Amino acid sequence: MKPRTALGTAFAFVVLVLLQYTLRPLLGWPLGPDFLLMAVVVASVRVRPGTAAVIGLLVGLVADSIGTDPFGASALAFTVVGFAASWVQGSVFADDLTVDFLLFFAGEWVYSAIFLFAARTSSAAPILAPLLVWAPVRALVTALFGVATLAILRPVLRPASAS
Amino acid sequence: MPPASRTLGRRDFVLLGLCLAAGIAALGLPDTTRDAIAGALRRSVLAPLLSLQHQAELTREAMRDRSAAVLVADSLRIRALAVPALESENARLRRMLGLGQRLRWGFAPAEVLLGKGVTEEYTVTLSVGSAAGVRKLSPVVAAEGLVGIVKSVDPTISTAILWAHPDFRASAMASDGSVYGIVAAHPGADPERFLLEMRGVPMRSAIPKGTLIVTSGLGGTFPRGIPVGVVLTELRTNELWARTYLLRPAVSPTDLSSVMVLMPDRGKEGVEPVWKDVGHDTAVRASAAPAAPGAGAPAAPAPDSAAAAQHLADSLAADSVRRARRRHRRDSLTAVADSALARGDTALADSVRKLLLPRKRPPAADSARPVTP
Repeated sequence: MKPRTALGTAFAFVVLVLLQYTLRPLLGWPLGPDFLLMAVVVASVRVRPGTAAVIGLLVGLVADSIGTDPFGASALAFTVVGFAASWVQGSVFADDLTVDFLLFFAGEWVYSAIFLFAARTSSAAPILAPLLVWAPVRALVTALFGVATLAILRPVLRPASAS
Repeated sequence: MPPASRTLGRRDFVLLGLCLAAGIAALGLPDTTRDAIAGALRRSVLAPLLSLQHQAELTREAMRDRSAAVLVADSLRIRALAVPALESENARLRRMLGLGQRLRWGFAPAEVLLGKGVTEEYTVTLSVGSAAGVRKLSPVVAAEGLVGIVKSVDPTISTAILWAHPDFRASAMASDGSVYGIVAAHPGADPERFLLEMRGVPMRSAIPKGTLIVTSGLGGTFPRGIPVGVVLTELRTNELWARTYLLRPAVSPTDLSSVMVLMPDRGKEGVEPVWKDVGHDTAVRASAAPAAPGAGAPAAPAPDSAAAAQHLADSLAADSVRRARRRHRRDSLTAVADSALARGDTALADSVRKLLLPRKRPPAADSARPVTP
């Protein structure tokens, strides 16, 4: 990765993490956008899958430390999402807003699925409704916000050779 | 996002495995260890993020509180808009109470059910009828003076024409009885339409501005002494043998919500002291001011107007205190009588009960029956 690209990615990553703890509480939506997932995906598609997994683990530990959910659930989920996003982006798809939308949508849904299973404390806990109803809605919101954020941050994220 | 040409290598799988192992291990940690790690992270590297989150939540709370405060302020503003109307209605009802106490008997309090513009502009429906003693041609009055006359009567409701009605006529005179005439509605355009005319005043008699005009009692329809209006100016007419004066009416058409219908017997006994005793100039001038803006200069307030208003307020307050004292005395005596009866002291109980018997008083102020000697 070129230094300028790395700097742009780091800047976008920090902005998205800050948005998670500023804009999201300000919105107060129950199914608000997940800026941490956006940060993981944005960083993951620019690094190798192994590094993406490490980034996902660290972001997940941050989320687990601040939230009230079971410690480690987010770490596990973000690890898988980061690794998969990096591998999928590098192997299959080209650079496109539609692809980004699908990455955010699928990433959030996969994250919710892993998180729900990992954070499940008992077999009686409901899992189908959150996974099939609420998770897609949240994934859609995240994907929309993610595409909008990428459109805003595109000058920063675009490699120097492309601009 | 730019595509990155990459293939999965052993290093990637190793890192993935380590990360997954770390995540699963974190899930399996004991609660105390989890809390210790999370707490250490929160207190160190995550402290700025937590502070940001806290500030954002406070901002959101402040925005929500502001919306609630705006709603409360709007509600208060809406309520405040109604306060002048409530104060006006309160003052009007107080004046009506005062009028009822002065009339003592022979009247029926009524609500104006339909105001102007609903059926006819100058006709109103009253909430009392023949069952309450109302008769056709009964005078309708307010605390300020003459309102109109009953036109038709049903058992429970009646219809009255206001002084502004084209058919309204009343024999009137100057308050000192020096000049007589006929009062009718002034047939001008708005706002002069809501003024009165006093016609047929002899040429030799001039009435100065500000003179109070009251009903004369001639003809028997209206008892003598009900304020009708105040002289504004003399009108120029083609009549060479009589003068016509423009009057500002005593009762504003905007104040018609509670009125009183005088019974025939009460009219025969006379009501002249009713309006004279309370300084009717005050009431007339206070109510006449908004009746017809621009139609002429309002009459100068009488020097004793403030004193009369104060006297009226004081008398109302004194009445309230007297009623409260009577109620307290009655309750105390009832308690003493009950206590004596419980002890078996019937003599004491009987004597106390005699004190509780009502004295022979004039009928209540809102009674429509005449006093029986």
